[in-house]
Amino acid sequence: MAIEEDVIVVGGGVAGTVAALSAAETGASVRLITHKKSTLRHASGLIDVLGYTPDADGPLADPFEGLDSLPEEHPYRVVGEDAIREGLATFDDIVGDEYHGEHTDANALVPTHGGAVKPTARYPKAAAAGVASDDRDMLLVGFASMTDFEASLAADHLDAAGVPFEARGVTIEFPKRFRADAKVTRFAKALDTDEDVGGRGTREALAAAVEPHLDGAARVGFPSLLGDDHRHEVRADLEAYLGAEVFEVPMGPPSLPGLRLEDLLFDALDEAGVGISSGNKAVGYETDDGEVSAVIVDRKGREIPYHADAFVLATGGLVGKGIDSSREGVREPLFDCYIPHPDDRYDWFVEDAFGDHPFTSFGVVPDDRLRPTRADGHAEFENLFAAGGVVGGANVAAEKSASGVSLATGVVAGRAAGDSI
Amino acid sequence: MTDTPEILVIGGGSTGTGIARDLAMRGMDVTLVEQGNLTHGTTGRMHGLLHSGGRYAVTDQPSAKECIEENRVLREIASHTVEMTGGLFVKRPEDTEEYFEKKLKGCKECGIPTEVLSNAEARQLEPYLAKDIDKAIRVPDGAIDPFRLCVANAASAEQHGARIETHSKVVDVLIEAGEVVGVEVEHTSGEGKRVHGRSGGREKIYADYVVNATGAWAGRVGDMAGVDIEVRPSKGVMTIMNVRQVDTVINRCQPKGNADIIVPHETTAILGTTDEEVEDPEDYPEEQWEVDMMISELSKLVPMLQEARTIRSFWGVRPLYEPPGTGTTDPTDITRDFFLLDHAARDDLPGMTSIVGGKFTTFRMMAEKISDHVCAKFGDTTECRTADVPLPGSEDFSVLRDYMDEFGLRSPIGRRSVQRLGSRADEVLKTNEPNPTVCECEGVTRAEVRDAISSAGSDLNAVRLRTRASMGNCQGAFCCHRMANELAMEYPEPVAREALDELYQERWKGERHAMWGEQLSQAMLKHLLHATTMNRDRDPVRVGSDVDFGAFDGGPAVGDDAGAKRAAADGGRRDGD
Amino acid sequence: MSDAQSPTDFDFEPVDDFEPVDVFDDSMDLRPGADNCYKCTACDTSCPVAEVDDEFPGPKFQGPEQWRLKRKEDVEIDDSILSCSNCMRCDNACPSSVPLSQMHNEARGEYVENQMDHRSREYIRNRILANYRTLAELGSKVPRITNAVMGNSLVQKLNEKLLGITAEREFPEFATQTFREWWRERGGAQVSSEEKRIAYFHGCYSNYNTPEVGKALVRVFEEFGYEIAVPRQRCSGTPMFANGMLDDAERAANVNVPEFKDLIDEGYDVIASCTSCSMSLKQEYPELFQISGIDEVSNHTYEALEYLRIYEDVQGALEGKSVDYPDLAYHAPCHARNQGLDRQAVELFREVDGFEIEDVGSSCSGISGTYGWKAEKYEKSMKIGEDMFDHMHHAKGSVGMTECPTCSMQMEHGSGYEIRHPLQLLEEAVA
Repeated sequence: MAIEEDVIVVGGGVAGTVAALSAAETGASVRLITHKKSTLRHASGLIDVLGYTPDADGPLADPFEGLDSLPEEHPYRVVGEDAIREGLATFDDIVGDEYHGEHTDANALVPTHGGAVKPTARYPKAAAAGVASDDRDMLLVGFASMTDFEASLAADHLDAAGVPFEARGVTIEFPKRFRADAKVTRFAKALDTDEDVGGRGTREALAAAVEPHLDGAARVGFPSLLGDDHRHEVRADLEAYLGAEVFEVPMGPPSLPGLRLEDLLFDALDEAGVGISSGNKAVGYETDDGEVSAVIVDRKGREIPYHADAFVLATGGLVGKGIDSSREGVREPLFDCYIPHPDDRYDWFVEDAFGDHPFTSFGVVPDDRLRPTRADGHAEFENLFAAGGVVGGANVAAEKSASGVSLATGVVAGRAAGDSI
Repeated sequence: MTDTPEILVIGGGSTGTGIARDLAMRGMDVTLVEQGNLTHGTTGRMHGLLHSGGRYAVTDQPSAKECIEENRVLREIASHTVEMTGGLFVKRPEDTEEYFEKKLKGCKECGIPTEVLSNAEARQLEPYLAKDIDKAIRVPDGAIDPFRLCVANAASAEQHGARIETHSKVVDVLIEAGEVVGVEVEHTSGEGKRVHGRSGGREKIYADYVVNATGAWAGRVGDMAGVDIEVRPSKGVMTIMNVRQVDTVINRCQPKGNADIIVPHETTAILGTTDEEVEDPEDYPEEQWEVDMMISELSKLVPMLQEARTIRSFWGVRPLYEPPGTGTTDPTDITRDFFLLDHAARDDLPGMTSIVGGKFTTFRMMAEKISDHVCAKFGDTTECRTADVPLPGSEDFSVLRDYMDEFGLRSPIGRRSVQRLGSRADEVLKTNEPNPTVCECEGVTRAEVRDAISSAGSDLNAVRLRTRASMGNCQGAFCCHRMANELAMEYPEPVAREALDELYQERWKGERHAMWGEQLSQAMLKHLLHATTMNRDRDPVRVGSDVDFGAFDGGPAVGDDAGAKRAAADGGRRDGD
Repeated sequence: MSDAQSPTDFDFEPVDDFEPVDVFDDSMDLRPGADNCYKCTACDTSCPVAEVDDEFPGPKFQGPEQWRLKRKEDVEIDDSILSCSNCMRCDNACPSSVPLSQMHNEARGEYVENQMDHRSREYIRNRILANYRTLAELGSKVPRITNAVMGNSLVQKLNEKLLGITAEREFPEFATQTFREWWRERGGAQVSSEEKRIAYFHGCYSNYNTPEVGKALVRVFEEFGYEIAVPRQRCSGTPMFANGMLDDAERAANVNVPEFKDLIDEGYDVIASCTSCSMSLKQEYPELFQISGIDEVSNHTYEALEYLRIYEDVQGALEGKSVDYPDLAYHAPCHARNQGLDRQAVELFREVDGFEIEDVGSSCSGISGTYGWKAEKYEKSMKIGEDMFDHMHHAKGSVGMTECPTCSMQMEHGSGYEIRHPLQLLEEAVA
């Protein structure tokens, strides 16, 4: 029937995209099935590889040096350092000059919107001038109606961390007076199209509002809303008006950097000729002789099989809904893959809010080819591979390793799927 | 002794704040001390039911009569904290007809208005009720917000000259010449700590009379005074649903039992409860079976609860008391009546009275009785006025005006704000500055948060109780840090950071009892936002680690020609717009 | 956990299974739908209106937040609900499957019913726009005169002044022969089949304005051996939902559902050429109405290309084909996106020789049915469309393509391009 490919990847986030691209590189025909918008829209757009190991307090200057101290079941230990480097190389190819960090193995410390610095391996070009190891003085600018970012607190927080520069914060009103609940996309649009504000463009008006507070700062940080399609022009214009470098502080949802990255990933899929089916949910599968022969997609009530020779499960974790739970247990809803978890749900978490919660590491258990395994250690299916958040064994939140795990497992799972046919 | 008697009230729950208000209104010089926030104890840990008295109409008619009386009073004086939802006693097929009739008769005897509804009528009122219920009795139950009620009582007391000290734990009862003359408190605030009320260290507060209104903690204060107060704390779980499956209080019509009530409270529905005696009111197990029982039992009344999302659970400890020698074994059989223990008469220790037992709905009446008792000590015959004078926020309360247009708020946010603020809406919401929504789940704006900060200080948990910010379905994932940001106007960064941590931990405490399904996804998202995106878990400032900034990537320009102008050069090898 | 307790033993109940119940007068209580929202705001970032109009607080507020804050006695709906264009992109964004558009539709219906002045210019204008079919039925009786009158700039100015319908847009021309007239004239179905049968939901636009799309559908499906029925039908309801005119939509649905249900019983599937029509029958019908047979109609409705890709080897039929066709700038309508159909035209045609087809990006065209026709929304509509216009100009060629009639109006209006429907290209290639 109509829908038949060599490889089908289920999931449209970082892991799914990279898996699809890696599978396509083997010469396979590939289709990516994605249900709703990915969790990239909640994420900051930073690509963390490894910022902390379980036993060390401080941030890792070199993520690769921390690999050996990770537990054995950690996906990084399964795929190895080369896979992480390949994942990063694939990422660098996808994003081109939109990201920085590839010039060194060292992590960068990027200021977060709460003011804490965070170790990360790749950061958007728009965030580059904000790194905390740069010793130039910094002005942070917040907007009166944006409750998520309080510039003076963030600046004082940086100061408390002992950053090698002076940080100041100021709150101003955005030159276009929006209603107080205007979305960040509204701000971005106004800057993107340089909407008129009292006879001049929004960009110039914004720069004029910031200028009196500049006081010699060499770089100025804004919450990440400086345009979308025309983001580079927006920043360049602001820099020209202000005579200082301009950067964005990565924010939580709604995240423009995440949106922009999502666009870059899908452009790369298009370019690689990967078919994309979005908007409908994969709800089941068919097997043939121990192998998966199709995933079933629910198209508004009608279940349609999508056939392929190999499959990659990249449906995400608890947030991406690749892992589901009830009072009785935790499960992987599409293939019913085995997910180890304590029987007692009060053992899924610990008392300290920032403690080492077992639930953060829930996921399928991969074999050395990243095939999800059953409780007895055998692969669930010969031709099913897993990548990204659905893979267990990593506390990505504490380690700051979510994107790195997705990239590394994506490359390995995608290639294994492509090679298996 | 001075002309104006100085009275010290221990305990900032409904009883304590009620007494403080009552005595202050009668002209006494009142100081109230509370170890935590207002409502820190039992008051803050109840399901928010404003009793019609129906629940006690069979077993304890005097209590039932008090309830209906006070129910009417609170609707008048505390209208902005009350929602008259009405209530139903629902009979399932397995519940006895005999008890149904007893309930109906009991209500009538106590003057509680009733109406019997058929299955169809009850389900028309509450469409999610189980299809197979028999019938129901309609009574004037309601929902009440204990937090805002206590805050309003305390505010009224302050308006009448009282001093209210929160986060001030009593560490000793001062006894001189065989008489209680005051207490020593430890203010949690002090050097290097966040300031809540009075700053710093210990303080001896002398008074002409001490009222111990510490509920489940009464025994501890008794110990300090060397008297024995046998409070029998009994814990009960309350499980909070994300939305209101019902808009009417739903009671199971059976003699007694766990998990027999659903209270629509603000935006949520609260399932309750259990009744288990515990040793220590501050240290008792919070168990999975209790939560599971709420869901499975109450699903028999409202089946959709089985699949509905719960956002957290919490436990409260009832300060049950029975006179020594009564010998009741089942805590559900212990009377809900209150006892006034005058330690002069009881223990030969003048200068102090304890109040134990009782129930939230009748707090004002209890406060009146103990205030009468205190006044009698001083020969004061001033009449109690607390039943007639509205609490702050409930004066001339009217929501008829179009607040939305006036304050530029979206309709449901304006509506909820006014429902919370009552007659204070004007003064709080009138602002010339941008007034963004801080907590989207509960519709709480910056103006309301800042108003709460002005009375609660930097304690974000106190801000939460005043506003409901962070009490919605995301449990503060999207607003804890925003609330902390609002502290920036008045407080330095370390204060805001610690306040954020405290609030975040407090939210987790209850949230963890709902860790499955959507709420586990929610918790993971929250964890990723705060730990991953903001690096709050390993924040070098928080964990106190020194960072060698020079060892990290200094940006794409580093390594370029030293003379290159960094502001102009985009540096990295992949660059160029 | 042992293998014996493998996860297949779990009896997981669907989390999003909630039963809508009449509670707020005669509308539905969708508060439980808020249970699925974990506040991620993916919906807000997908909203084309919030991006250009800060008066609109976004789908999360309009959906789960507003519903959750409701109490039974609260009837008031924030008036910003009228700024929602019903593009439904939020549905497509939500990772948690919150019934956003259903919440918006219900809230809008309540607002229009209870809070809107039914004598106001806005209400009358919206009612007229929502009931395009009534207008079209009259107009197409004398198409040439109507076209002349509606194309008259004085009439357009009057429309704007009196009704608030923008004078900036040209009214779509009525065809001199409607699709149904053509169908009757040709004698109905030319192919008969017991196995392969479709009932065509042509909608208003293919009937009155672009019968060539309907004809293309007929020729293509007959080429693949299908027997086609064209039953009596009314508007799919899309413009009525968007304007909160739920009663009007229900009246139309009460005609459509039984007509198509009868054919389904005879082995027909329902095919639409307009992606908003297929969206409505598939999703909004069962969400909003309780009509006997409505679930069957929903489950048997397909968009034309979608159907062929599932049940026919249309890819094979196009293999090696070369078609003399202009280069195409393709725009995927929002409602196609929601059905997972946004990529199908490009994927299907990019292997065909003789022309190039380029996707002009994932943005909304901005017209969203009747939204862009409202004078006060016109500028916002054009601002939303800017991205698409930009990409169209950057694409090769000067012919556009889309499945949605109103998107095509917007594409034409903003670019000056002629706009075609994928069925017309498919007709050229296979029929």
